[in-house]
Amino acid sequence: MLATAALTSCELIDYHPYDVRITGPTDVNATNIARIEAACRGKQQVRVAVIGDSHRWYDELKLFVKAVNARGGIDFVIHDGDLSEYGYTQEFLWTRDYLDELSVPYVALIGNHDCLGTGRNTYRAVFGDADFAFVAGRVKFVCLNTNALEYDYSDPIPDFNFIASQITSQAGEFDCTVGVMHARPGDDVFNNNVATVFHEYMLRLPQLACCINGHGHSMRHDDLMGDGVIYHQTGSLNDRAYMLFTFNNDGTYSYEEVAF
Amino acid sequence: MKKSLFNNACLKIVGLLLCLIGTAFTASAGSTVTDFDTIPSDSLKRLRRYEQRLSRLQAHWQRLIPSYGKVQYAGNMGLISVGGGWAYGKNRQWETDLLIGFLPKYKSDAAKATLTLKQNFMPWRWHTGEHIFIEPLACGLYFNTVLHNDFWVRQPDRYPKGYYWFSTRIRTNIYIGQRITFKIPPHKRFFTKAITAFYEISTCDYYILSHVGNSGYPLRDLISLSFGLKMQLF
Repeated sequence: MLATAALTSCELIDYHPYDVRITGPTDVNATNIARIEAACRGKQQVRVAVIGDSHRWYDELKLFVKAVNARGGIDFVIHDGDLSEYGYTQEFLWTRDYLDELSVPYVALIGNHDCLGTGRNTYRAVFGDADFAFVAGRVKFVCLNTNALEYDYSDPIPDFNFIASQITSQAGEFDCTVGVMHARPGDDVFNNNVATVFHEYMLRLPQLACCINGHGHSMRHDDLMGDGVIYHQTGSLNDRAYMLFTFNNDGTYSYEEVAF
Repeated sequence: MKKSLFNNACLKIVGLLLCLIGTAFTASAGSTVTDFDTIPSDSLKRLRRYEQRLSRLQAHWQRLIPSYGKVQYAGNMGLISVGGGWAYGKNRQWETDLLIGFLPKYKSDAAKATLTLKQNFMPWRWHTGEHIFIEPLACGLYFNTVLHNDFWVRQPDRYPKGYYWFSTRIRTNIYIGQRITFKIPPHKRFFTKAITAFYEISTCDYYILSHVGNSGYPLRDLISLSFGLKMQLF
């Protein structure tokens, strides 16, 4: 009983909302990417549930996890950013802990809210690099930090060198590519001076199937640049719906909006 | 981007405090005894008024000398906070603290300093012995600011108007707690007249906002526990 009291007391000790004191799993994306790549190796198609902008809708996040676990047949989950509302440390840990309840692996991108205060430090410690990529089946997912405004344009965001490196990295392991980001070209936090250049860079990725983004808090499917490449925008979690994609290895895909 | 632990704002505030305290001490040390016999009687009245004014001024400045020192562990102000404050009211039931906190680096880019302005109210005092009294309720409000360039009071100009409505720099906290005070007998005093140990259970605006609209959250995520010591100087 004394031990329980002591343990509870420890959990009550808070140094600062933005203290970046991390408890529990770190480098979550790297760990889960290893699981995704192993589980999807040799598959003809992969099924991905995508959400974004969970902010402080924790009840909805729990419901989403429950819905995905109950549905089955989903290979992994992508959270396309805004894991937090204020960027304080505990928000990332709450979101991580709820997503850890998923029966399938997941990756999480950085959103503009996740950059606030020490948020970007917490994101890095808990999830990993803000730009990352992985291959599931023979589909490569290139996940990018596009929150240029949060960095006051002082950091290279979007990082064109990273995008270019993904043309050749893991070559031979994938046949098509999917771009994933929090904000899309044209959004307020995107570096819109390079909106078209960004899209053209994305087109250099082998057989770009589509792009997926969040930030807009409404589900949309737009041919942004008029070239047939669709930007699929996930809604906020408050809308209690996720997007379910089925990607085939030849770059064809289908999607549906699933309410939960 | 290199960031120093005590940035400009912090240094300015510490400097101002030292300046105030220094002035108060200098003022009290500077009073001199006047030899009234050597002064003509018509000037005496003027001189007395001057000295009255001077002593009033000194009394005012002396009130700026903190009447206690404080050290507090945790409480969303940093790992450890130190500072002083002023007790006032008929039974000294009101207190105002000014604390500087230290927040280690952990997984962030740099260690940070914080500054806390805290208002305390202890409505009751139970004397449980000759040298001990308990304050069964201490409550109050405190504002904490992080002295680091990545935090802002109002969103920087680069954002569209009204993009982020909240301040990442200033947190508002409320707390309730309890205190026990040990009075030091006069012949055993060195600097301290009494020592108070206290604990506080607090919450801050972010914690409340994060929980609004969400059900079934453990209380431990909403509240924080902190401990501290107060050294009453006079």
